[in-house]
This record gives sequence, C-alpha cells and structure tokens, in this order.
Amino acid sequence: MHGEPFGYEKPASLREFESLFAERGEDAKILAGGTDLFVLIKERLLAPRLLIDISDLPELRGISYDPGEGLTIMAGTKVAEIERSALVREHAPALAFAAANLGSNQVRWMATMAGNVCHASPAAETPPVLLAHGCELVIGTPGGERTLPISEFFLAYRKTALQAGEYLKAFRLPPLPARSAVAYQLRGLRRAMEIDMLNMGIYLELAADGVTVSDIRLAMGSVGPVTYRARGTEQRLKGMRLGEEFMAAAGAGVAEEATPIDDMRASAAYRNRVIGVLARRGLEQCLEQIGKGRGEA
Amino acid sequence: MNQRKFSIIGTDKVRKEAPAKARGEAIYTDDIKLPRMLIGKIKHSDCAHARIISIDTSEAEKLPGVKAVLVGSEAPNKYGIVPQAPTETALAIGKVRFHGEPVAAVAAVDEATADRALDLIKIEYELLPVYIDPHAAMAKDAVPLHEDNKYGNIAYMAKQDFGDVDKALAESHRVLEKTFKTSYVNHVFMEPHSCVARFDDNGDLMMWSSTQVPHYLHTMASQVLDMPMSKIQVTVPTVGGGFGGKGEASNNELVAALLSRKSLRPVKVTYSRKEVFFQHRGRHPIEMKIRMGVDREGYLTAIDYDGIMDGGAYGAWGIIILFYTAAMLHLPYKITNVRFNAKRIYTNKPTCGPMRGLGGVQPRFALESMMDDLAIMLGMSPYELKLKNAIDGKHDTVSGVHVRHSEYKKCLTEVVNRSGYLEKHQKLPFGRGVGLAGGYYISGTAYTLYMSYKPHSSALIRLDTESGVTLQCGATDIGQGSNMVLAMMCAEKLGLPYESVHVISGDTKNAPFDLGSFASRVTVAAGAAVCEAADKLLAQLLPVAAVHIGCRADQLLAGNGEIYSKFEKELRMPFWDAVEKYIDAFGPLTATGSYTPPRRTGEFKGGNVGHSPTYGFTAHVAEVEVDTETGEVKVVGYNEAGDCGQPINPLSVEGQVEGSIVMAMGQALYEEIRLAPDGRIINPNLHDYKVPTMRDIPHIKTYAVDSYDPDSPFGAKEAGEGPIQPTIPAILNAVYDAIGVRFTELPLTPEKVLQALEEKKRQEGLS
Ligand SMILES: Cc1cc2nc3c(=O)[nH]c(=O)nc-3n(C[C@H](O)[C@H](O)[C@H](O)COP(=O)(O)OP(=O)(O)OC[C@H]3O[C@@H](n4cnc5c(N)ncnc54)[C@H](O)[C@@H]3O)c2cc1C
Repeated sequence: MHGEPFGYEKPASLREFESLFAERGEDAKILAGGTDLFVLIKERLLAPRLLIDISDLPELRGISYDPGEGLTIMAGTKVAEIERSALVREHAPALAFAAANLGSNQVRWMATMAGNVCHASPAAETPPVLLAHGCELVIGTPGGERTLPISEFFLAYRKTALQAGEYLKAFRLPPLPARSAVAYQLRGLRRAMEIDMLNMGIYLELAADGVTVSDIRLAMGSVGPVTYRARGTEQRLKGMRLGEEFMAAAGAGVAEEATPIDDMRASAAYRNRVIGVLARRGLEQCLEQIGKGRGEA
Repeated sequence: MNQRKFSIIGTDKVRKEAPAKARGEAIYTDDIKLPRMLIGKIKHSDCAHARIISIDTSEAEKLPGVKAVLVGSEAPNKYGIVPQAPTETALAIGKVRFHGEPVAAVAAVDEATADRALDLIKIEYELLPVYIDPHAAMAKDAVPLHEDNKYGNIAYMAKQDFGDVDKALAESHRVLEKTFKTSYVNHVFMEPHSCVARFDDNGDLMMWSSTQVPHYLHTMASQVLDMPMSKIQVTVPTVGGGFGGKGEASNNELVAALLSRKSLRPVKVTYSRKEVFFQHRGRHPIEMKIRMGVDREGYLTAIDYDGIMDGGAYGAWGIIILFYTAAMLHLPYKITNVRFNAKRIYTNKPTCGPMRGLGGVQPRFALESMMDDLAIMLGMSPYELKLKNAIDGKHDTVSGVHVRHSEYKKCLTEVVNRSGYLEKHQKLPFGRGVGLAGGYYISGTAYTLYMSYKPHSSALIRLDTESGVTLQCGATDIGQGSNMVLAMMCAEKLGLPYESVHVISGDTKNAPFDLGSFASRVTVAAGAAVCEAADKLLAQLLPVAAVHIGCRADQLLAGNGEIYSKFEKELRMPFWDAVEKYIDAFGPLTATGSYTPPRRTGEFKGGNVGHSPTYGFTAHVAEVEVDTETGEVKVVGYNEAGDCGQPINPLSVEGQVEGSIVMAMGQALYEEIRLAPDGRIINPNLHDYKVPTMRDIPHIKTYAVDSYDPDSPFGAKEAGEGPIQPTIPAILNAVYDAIGVRFTELPLTPEKVLQALEEKKRQEGLS
C-alpha cells in the first residue's frame, strides 16, 4: 500500500532546519529514522505534506557525559549508538539494555530515541527507563530552547507536550546519586522484535543506612494510554525499609495504579497480574546493582 | 545388497546457490523486469461475507496509466487442485466469502498508479452473516457460503471405521477422553507469492512464478484461461520457501496471466505480506474429541477420533487434508481399532490448505499428549509406553498402509538416551520439565490429484563433450535443496564431481514431467527417476569403454572421473574420453528415467490417501522452563533423533529438521492469525503475527539414526515433514512435566499458563 505523495527536504544544518521548520511546521513532519513515521504513512493514518529529514544533522548527534550535568544524548542519535555507547553502558546501563531490546539490529541503526519518545506509544521501549532516570528533555523552540521533565511530556495516547514549531533536541539524564540504580523490565510474547505487552522502568535510591528507601520511581508502559509513573505507590514506598513487606507493597501498588486494557498483545487481567512481578524483579535488580556498586567502592 | 560406501552421498555439501542468496543476488520472480511490463494489483473485499451488487470500474479505467481492469465475470471457469470439485475463481463472482478476497484487478504502468486505480473501483455489497466459527457456520439456519454445496456449510464429511472400537474401548483397562484445539496459523515463507506473465505474438503464455507446483499451476492456468496446456509454459525462478502455501495456483498467478492477456503487455503481480495472509492455505484449526484406550500393560487398544476442521472460505486441498488426517492416526504405533469421523466446514476466513506435515500435526499433538497422560495414569514412563507400541521394521496398518522400512524404535531410544530424558522426567524441580513425542511422515504419495497413471517424476540426463552433464527434471527447488539432492545422486552414479552436474528444473517445457514439491516426495520419486536415467546412461556408455579398455562391460565401474575395471585397477580410461568415443560412434548420449510409485489402496472412502513408497520417522525431547509468575514458557533444550533413511546431504537434513522444529515451536507458543468478529484479520503482518526469533530458539541437537531403505534411491526417505510432527506435543508434554498442567489448546500463551497455574493453586487449596 502506498501513502499520499509528500515533499521531502533535507536541511544541511541545524539553523537551516530551524528556519524551515518555523516556516513549514504546520504541514510538515520531522523525519528521523522513519521507522514509525513510514508505517503510519503507508497505512494512511497520516498524510503529511512535507517531511523534513533530520537524520544526518551533525548538531543533533552524539552522546556526552559531564559529572555535574550527567549524560546528554542528542535527539538524532541512533538507538544502536545508544545501545553500544560506553558512556551509556556506564552511566545508564538500563537504557543501553532497553535500546538493545528495541526492534531488530536493522531497525536500531535507523531508529532514534527521539522518534521513540515523540511517537509517544504507551508500549515504547525507552520512555520507562527515561522516566525512571528523571530525564529532562531539551526542547527546541522558535528562536530558543526550554527544558521539560519527561514526566510532563506524554499528554495522551500518541500526544506530547511539543507545541507548534517545537522539536526535541536532547535528553539529559542527571548523574545517579550514591546508593541508587535503574532497572528495566519488559515482557513480550517472544524475546526479540516485540512491541512489549508490559514494560517498566524502576529507580531505587537508598538512604545512608542502606535499608531505607529514600527515593523510588516506578514507570509503567502498556498499562494505560501513556507511559506513566505510579506516583501514589512511590509516595507510599518512600521511607519504607527494604524487605518482603516493601516488595509486596510495590507489587500491589503498581497493580492498583495500572489501568490496562485488553488488546492484541495481552488482556488487561494478565497485565494487572504481571505488572507487580516486574516491579519486584526490577527492584531486586536495582538492589543487586547497588550492592555491587558498594562492593566495588 | 545395499551398497553404502559412497563418495558424494552422505557428505555435507553447501548449496551452490547459497552464496548468491546470502548476497541478495539470486533472482526471485519479483526481481524480473521485462520491457513494457505492467504492475498488476488486486482489489480485495472489505467485508467477509456479502453479495456483490455491482462493481464499477469506469473511473479506474479512465485513469491515465491504467492499461487493463479485470473483474471476476471475465474469467468464470472454476478451478481447484482437486479437479472434481473446483470451488474458486480468479476473482470473486457474485459473492465474497472472506475479508480480503480478490474482487477486481488492474494493470498499470507503475505501482502508485495501480494503487490509485484500485481506490477508484467502486463495489457495492449486500452484507450477509459472517461465520468465523465453524459451529456457527454449521447452525441449521446459517447462510451457506457456497449455494451449490450439498450440506450447507459442511464442505466434506468422512467416516472410517476399522476393527471394533466400541468393544476395544469397553474392554480397555483405562480410557481417556479429551478435546484438543489447534490454532489458525500461516506458513510465513519469506518470499511473498509473485508471478510475471507474458503472452508472445504466437499467443503462447509464459509464466514465471514462485510456485511449488509448476505442473498444477500449468493445469489450472489452462483451465481458467481456456487455453491448451501446450500453449502455456510455467517456469520457476529462485523461490523463497513454500511449505505448502504455494502448493496450488494462487490468485496472483491467474490474475497476472489474465491481465497480461487483456493488456497485451507483460504483467507482474507480487503480493504484500498482508495479501499472503489473504491467500493463506495455512494449517486447518481442528477441534478434536478423542478417546483412546490402553490395556494393563500399556498397549494401545483403540483410537476414536471426532474432528471438526475449520476450512475457511474455499475447498482447495481440503478434502485431501481431511483424509490425510484420517490416515495419520494409524502410525507410528500399532493400533488395530481406529474410528475416524470428521467434517470440514466452510467459514468466512482465508482458506486453509496444505502446510508442512499436512494432516499429521494436529492429531499428533493430541495423540502424543494423551499417550503421555495414559502412561502416567499407568505409572509407566511415556518412553516405555511409546516404545512398546511403536511399529517394527516393517508394518501393515489396518487401513492397508504398508511400511516397508522403519527405524522408529531406534529414534525413540536414541533421543531418550541423548537427552537424558529418563534421568529428568518427573525429577526436575517445579517449573522445569522434559517431554517426549514421536512422529512420522510420508515420502511421497501413491496417486496424483487427478485420475492418471503416468509416472510421477521423470528425468533426462544428457552427456556431451561441450557442456558436460545436464540433468533435466521437472522437480522444483523451492529452497529445500532438491536441485542439490538430484545433482548429488547423478554425480554419485556417474562418478563425477557434484559441482559438474548442471540442473535444469522447475520448468514445464524445458524439463520433463514432475508433479511438484509437496508431500516430501521429491528425493524418493525424482531421485529414483534420476538414478534410472543415470543407470541407463552407463548401460550405453560402459560397453563402448569396455571395447576401448579391453574387458567386459559388466566389470566396469564409474568413479573419480574414470571408468575402471573393478578387478584390475590399471584397466581404466577417463570418463569423458569414453563419452567422446560414444558420441563419435553413435551420436548424442542421453537417457531418461521415470518413477511411478507402487499402487495401493483401500476399499473405503479415502482409501487412496496415506500410501507412500516409504516413510520417515522421528522422535523429540523438549526441555522447558516455565516462569510460574509470568506464565512464560521457554524452550531451553531440544533433542531430535530421526530416521530419514540415508541422509543424502546431512547438512541439509539438519537444516530441514531444525526448520521443522522452529516452525512447530512457533505454532506451539506464539503464532495465531487473529480475526475480528467481522472477519477482518487483526494481525496480517510479521510484527503482530509472531514467529520465533533467533533469541527464542534453543540449541537444537539433531541426530540421524543409522538407517537405509534398500528400496529407495540411495536408501533415502523424507526429512522435511516428519520432523515437524512431534514438536508441539514434545513441548506441551514438557510443560506438563514442569507444572503438572495438561494444555489442550494452541498457542500456549503466558496468559493461558498463568491462568491454569492459578486455577491449579485454587484447586489444590480446596482439596
Ligand atoms: C520492525 C520494527 C520493530 C520495532 N520494534 C520496536 C520495539 O521493539 N520497541 C519500540 O519501542 N519501538 C519499536 N519500533 C518502533 C520504532 O522503531 C521506534 O519507535 C523508533 O525509536 C522510532 O524512531 P525513528 O527515528 O524511526 O522515528 P520516526 O519514525 O522518524 O519518527 C517518529 C515520530 O517522531 C517524530 N520525531 C522524530 N524525531 C523528532 C524530534 N527530534 N523532535 C520532534 N519530533 C520528532 C516524527 O515526526 C514522528 O512523528 C519498531 C519499528 C519497526 C518498524
């Protein structure tokens, strides 16, 4: 099946892109890897008049780390680059793992994390980890920039907080404090090439005593119209001591806050039953990492 | 007796075409571009059951670039692989019977124009009730899909009764009754169907197509286009798999030819993946109610089978598959009381058809599961029970099937020893288990699909001093490697290198007759034809060499590129010198061979079905891990031991066995075409229809048991369809061993496992 015809522009610099986007933003779509966009166009769910290809813009590529600011990943960076990056593996291993679980190798060399986030599917691979990391988004605005916590980015099913003329420029993952870790848990029918039936990003931070939970973030995917955090549960868990009671409360809490539906990939009942298992396993993974970190230190 | 010392047979050979395939250089049908070629596209119905009130193609015809528009009434001849009961037309006439049915077609200068033209075709429908469940389709007041069908939506019924099932069950020590349901699955071959058709100035039609059965396409094209077969040539470029799904004419082939005739230009019609799901012909979902009995020692007493097959919208291979399902109950175990009672039902969904291991996979799943249950009821190892009942080296079934050669018992014993089954069964921790299952398959059929007694395969070998060895045989290489197998046999016979044999195959004009690639028939049937041709060549050539060498011809052998005396090694001459002398003296050196399978039948309906020259056997042990919190089943280990006779190319046998296991594993755990209540396919793409990926596949250990069928060419039997039979029950038996739950419905999703585990916990809590 073919979509409607569209125009195609490939600006050579960020400045050229910004002016073109400001001018034609109304009926244009940003084209990054195209691995979501072309599916929609071919299925005729979308008929943009113009595609603006940002896939090779050098200013939008790259991964860097600064001890104060944390990890910065530019929006046009390929998922495969994130998967392989030594910096990401060191400072956000769960993100590298999530990236490695997105599509196939071929898809990962086309796809970008910005595309994954801006497509705003509730089943997407990277948003749960980014939410767990407390990621800040750098958003390009006409003539400037603004930042937004990713937790305020997903407004509704496939709807984001990007305003007209805005685009996603970079991801900032703040440095992880001591005694903290992030984990990523996912479930699909098979072990690769899956749109997840469930996924979850888990952040756990322990107090100096090593047994009190000082901070926690539980970001759930595929259990509602957007990827979102189980904030009520997080609140209740903060200050608890590690142990079976804590784990049980985490599992029960996320199950309660999940609002899944039945779809092709799984039933709501199944998702409700298993989301708690993911929370527990993710927390155990975090604990293991925190323990390891301490062992090394 | 069996000469089992070979120089080429039994050695691992890499396919000649493999590197080109890996580099993307092999020429598939869709790669063909002819001058002035048009792109043909099909308009599919967007309702599942409806009367067609009108089709308006006028706007489409006016679109610049459109060269032909076609509707069903222009090609009214019905066709079908079973010619006595054709049910299909190239495009729907009067009615549509499934969502996605081809209704009209266009040929245009490019794909975008063809797509636009399709949008301009207006079809008016009067909706009819949609039946996606065979029970609903069988209801008394259901609207028949085919008005001319005798029994409403019951396409075919079959009953067979051997021995005295009621008495045997009544006298059994234990009787088990269970209902099993299999799912609606597709072959998912890599290459979507594609066909290029071209008429020449003489009115002759050439078809390049990705078919498994050039011969049957040839007959059906002749029928639909109303042309003598002699004016049609079908040729098969590289094919990317078939597994049965390309085992009869498909709409794209007929539409390409019809559009080409109408537009007077070559036309290509290549399916999208979605259209492959519409064409379908995948495995029949069957609801099987089975009763099975055993005596005190664990010998099977009777099988009572009641089945409802969901056939989809058209007849296709349906009746054949129905009777194969009956035939498959009789092996690989000794059983003398067997009753079969089944119906195939028309429903409003893409048509089911032949799929790797047709007829066997569904009953095998049920029977091997029940045998495990019975063994456990008797406190016996499933291995012991299966071995006790397994057929011996030769066997005759009550249905009249003759097995001339079997090493099935060896398969069971080998796989059990190699996998450590006995040490693991019922001994692994909760959540981990092993399962054993066996199976078999035919190596060809005894009959053609229409009345005919001609040879099923024929081959022509030409030796000449300019172009070497040319082997022509109509057998079709669809990726399974038949060109390689036939070339290896020819090379072994002539004592020449395998690489020197040039094969011309898969062509109705340039190669002698062969029925096609299905029923695991090619190695035995076409192989026998090749061997006969090669023997005849040697019979001509050796006397000439004998004169030159100065000894008796019957003392000469061909080997290592020479002809030599088996008694005095120094009496020898180069093979090609002998060929040259022959041609100088007598002219061209060619020979033909053919193969006609032994005829056997039974005095009952369906009695022709199930007979094969010989049979392949196999046994599997799967090891699984069940995540008891999420319900996921992971296959963590897999062992197979198979009897395929002498493996011609062991590397290819391994490939066939592993491919079979992976395919069946997908059907056990992941795969299912899902339909909305209105008959629309929800997942007609490979993102949502899930075949196993490399990450899901366990390390598979295959082993060919020592075997040689002395009546087969080089002792060979099938290896491509037997090995798919036991996988599903092996996995499900392993799941039973892991968590103590018997599953009877496919696919086994985490959801079903978790539900069952919770149910089990509840039950245990109650008791
Ligand atoms: C075979 C296959 C398998 C897949 N498997 C997975 C999977 O396992 N998990 C998963 O999560 N996804 C999967 N996907 C979906 C897809 O690959 C990812 O979502 C991918 O990250 C999208 O990135 P892209 O660069 O291709 O985005 P594009 O398709 O180019 O763009 C997607 C959307 O984002 C917008 N966009 C892109 N960049 C920006 C920007 N900088 N600022 C503003 N808007 C922007 C585009 O306009 C568009 O609306 C799969 C897709 C395919 C085809």
